[in-house]
Amino acid sequence: MRVVITSIVIAIILALAVSLPALAQESGTITITMTGLSEISISLDKTQWPLGTVAPNTEYETSPPIEWCTLTVQGNCNVNTFIVGEDAKWVSDPPAYKWTLSSDGTNGEHIYGLWFRISGDTARGYVPITKTQNEFWPYSGGSASSLAPEDTKQFGLRLLTPTYFFSGRQMQTQITISAVAA
Amino acid sequence: MAGRLKSAGLIAAFLVIFFPFLTVAEDLNFSLIPAEVHIDNLPPGEVAEFELTIHNKDDLAHNFTIATFPPPEDERREGSTEFPDGSWISFSSPTIEVGPNSQANVMVTVAIPQEQKWAGEDWETWLGVTAESSDLLGLKLHVRLLVSTSGIRFSAGFIVGIAAAIVLLGYAGYHYFKRRTKPE
Repeated sequence: MRVVITSIVIAIILALAVSLPALAQESGTITITMTGLSEISISLDKTQWPLGTVAPNTEYETSPPIEWCTLTVQGNCNVNTFIVGEDAKWVSDPPAYKWTLSSDGTNGEHIYGLWFRISGDTARGYVPITKTQNEFWPYSGGSASSLAPEDTKQFGLRLLTPTYFFSGRQMQTQITISAVAA
Repeated sequence: MAGRLKSAGLIAAFLVIFFPFLTVAEDLNFSLIPAEVHIDNLPPGEVAEFELTIHNKDDLAHNFTIATFPPPEDERREGSTEFPDGSWISFSSPTIEVGPNSQANVMVTVAIPQEQKWAGEDWETWLGVTAESSDLLGLKLHVRLLVSTSGIRFSAGFIVGIAAAIVLLGYAGYHYFKRRTKPE
């Protein structure tokens, strides 16, 4: 009996002696690294498109069509950029009425389309803006690389109004352009 | 004449005012420091903090909102997985007003729950800072936050391995001592 107990105790000690140093190796000092205190920054030289009154089922383009707004990379790191849209809401009573942003740039009753086009981007041409964040620049499948500090991209917008909507209501929407370190 | 008036009325009825009618042209420009943060060796149950600086480069004051954002899978750094729960990250001020050409700091706190299942992980999430605006175009900047937790996971395999080692060593020890104590 003494032999059995001694054997089990020695076995447990040996097993722990092997496993505990392995566990101890996993603990250490917490380190927080802020990569060279890099600064991320982009700017837009235009943020408003005063369209006034619009008619149903009609396309409107910014002027100039694809060089309307300039995005400039500032800061000191390369960036990847994205674009996302949202439903257009009635300014007077946002929960009461909206135009739904379509997922493919087409329109319908109370459904509108938004597109963007980057100057020089002949491969994609006009690209639908949806409620899901999509690539602005660079884009998958393209050979372009991320934007470096001082790089610029000019772009324009196209609006396709719903085939039918309630008239006389001021509508407002927002397109968000975002950036992350590449 | 009556027909013409009727069509004009119909067209007018379909018109709607879209986007701000009278507006002033304005640019939008701000920056974040740092652009990327790595927290390494954070044990579950521990807390890490760092400062995020928002620099408003506009001539107007802006309100900025800060929130976590799950990055698209193909945009995450290699080897990192999605951060499990955005509520583990908190901000000293989720909304902050920054004056024109000024900067402000926000303290970011990352707290991992004390559960063994969160040990030995590599996660990535983005901290999105948005300049509040009613304009058509808005701007948002993301900070990449990469968190690596320390410790090894006590998986079923690990526990079974230790149990098997005890049994095998016990068996070997038993035979060894039995042979040594065997009377000649």
